[in-house]
Amino acid sequence: MNRRNSRILRGLARFFVRLWQMRRVLLLVVPYLLLLGWLFVGGGRMDVRPAELYGIPEEPAWESPDAEHWFGTTGNGADLFELSRLAMATSVSVAVVSVSFGIALALLLSMLFVFDPGERRFKLVRIVGQTGFLVPSMVVLVILTGGTGGSLGVAILGLILVIAFHLCPVLADWFQEGESGFDVVAGYVLGLSRREIVMNRILPKILRRLVGVFAGYVPVVVLVEMTLSFLGLTGDRLSCGAMIAYGQGLIIEAPWMSIYPGLMATFVVFVLALLGWRVSAALRTGPLPRLF
Amino acid sequence: MARIVLQRLLVSMIRFAAAGIALIVLIEFAFCVIGGSDLHVWKPDSYGPVPPELSPRPVSWAGLLEDRVRVSLPVVVLCIPGILLIGYSWGLLGARLRRFRGARLLASPFSLFACVPGFWFVGLVAIYSYFHWRRPGFANDLVVERGPDLLTWWHAAIVALPALAAGAAWQIRAVSDVLEKEVTRPYLRGLFMAGYSEEDIFYRNAFRRALPQLFAISGSTLSSVAGSLVCLEYAFRYPGIGSLLVESVKLGSYGGILLSALALAAALSLAVLIGEVAVKLIRPEGVGG
Repeated sequence: MNRRNSRILRGLARFFVRLWQMRRVLLLVVPYLLLLGWLFVGGGRMDVRPAELYGIPEEPAWESPDAEHWFGTTGNGADLFELSRLAMATSVSVAVVSVSFGIALALLLSMLFVFDPGERRFKLVRIVGQTGFLVPSMVVLVILTGGTGGSLGVAILGLILVIAFHLCPVLADWFQEGESGFDVVAGYVLGLSRREIVMNRILPKILRRLVGVFAGYVPVVVLVEMTLSFLGLTGDRLSCGAMIAYGQGLIIEAPWMSIYPGLMATFVVFVLALLGWRVSAALRTGPLPRLF
Repeated sequence: MARIVLQRLLVSMIRFAAAGIALIVLIEFAFCVIGGSDLHVWKPDSYGPVPPELSPRPVSWAGLLEDRVRVSLPVVVLCIPGILLIGYSWGLLGARLRRFRGARLLASPFSLFACVPGFWFVGLVAIYSYFHWRRPGFANDLVVERGPDLLTWWHAAIVALPALAAGAAWQIRAVSDVLEKEVTRPYLRGLFMAGYSEEDIFYRNAFRRALPQLFAISGSTLSSVAGSLVCLEYAFRYPGIGSLLVESVKLGSYGGILLSALALAAALSLAVLIGEVAVKLIRPEGVGG
């Protein structure tokens, strides 16, 4: 009996010790899960169209913000808080998909150059990067999405290309920095092939940093997606940008319809930026438990 | 010096030409390949005169560009020097106070403001202006006909403020990162061991050697600021070069798109050229790359 108790206690102790060891990871993962869980609850209603919601019926049923409807309601009585939450869920989904594929594309493009042993193998990437800065990313996205008549698919494609374009020179720098490490030089002295060194020594370090890049890019891309939808270039999809744009047509009658969605957007972007900054700082400076 | 300037000017012109070709390809791809338009970007018939939606009075393309650039100039005058001044001075201070995480602390108010969607902020100003000051809020609502035109500068400040916040936050961190990386180099430890004071090491050695890199980082900041001005001007109904781009894209006017995008590219090209010439001229001896 005593032995069984002590085993349970030992198990519990091990569990808590493991939790304590993982405290830094949990401190980052739990807020993410809470935020995303809160955003995506009730995701089945994501096919609502802002043009329908913000249409003015003959007898508008809008209500200003009160205890029941924190953000007020639209002309047809829909709760603006719920709509803003769903809109942010859409924006975050777009950002997550775009950043994931953008990073993957950037890594793929960098890997085309990294196995070349030449000294100036990243020169082409750098030249293209320096020239590309002359055309701001927002200009590219506006032309691309506007030319196609505005659709979310094209916006995601544009975001992926822009992210990959900006990340390629950064990855090139990281690969070159990684090659100057003592372990890499020692690997060359020991006769390891370039492929072995890149795949086993340099790439793991870069992959680890990419998690931080992902976390840092997501809030920025959320802002860009909202901006494009504000400009009306992502189709008739629910997004805080589109809600603010439609709400500006009702500034006199119902000003809350353009004020409160922006408040929600600011809150979500701020939390994502804070978490992103913590994730990239943690991955840059300190060791993390294996789970990460 | 003349050789350096001419050399960088040539490189800059080649880059600008490449950016122009990339823009033409992008417009063709977006409008014709994906959008299914019959108007090709290389055909002169696709341009025509300036659409009346882009200008209230009949003007040529050059006149339209001149009008829009003139309107955007106050925004640029407020925004760019502000970013460079705050970015470099606070970034330097942040790197100097790196033990107390100075850069993060100094950049935090700007980073916080950068989380606010700019198009929403300018809309808020318009709503506040309408309800509290009892006057039209957006930039195109009221024109000053007599007296000093302070309203132009007020509108320019509203558009410039969100762009300035985001740009300054980025610039502070970038400047501080460059300097913090420089002060970890081994030669500085040698100087410290040799008895140099901390100020001497930081300002006379680390800072001076990092100057070329510090000049080089402003290109990407200015590019992102130009991008944010595109949507801010449109959101505040400010008839500048940025809103010309969005209006032209919505109208499918190739002339307006090319004119505004090339004007932005030319401004960025000039900024990069100045930065590169400065880097070449001030590069300290012994710094490679």
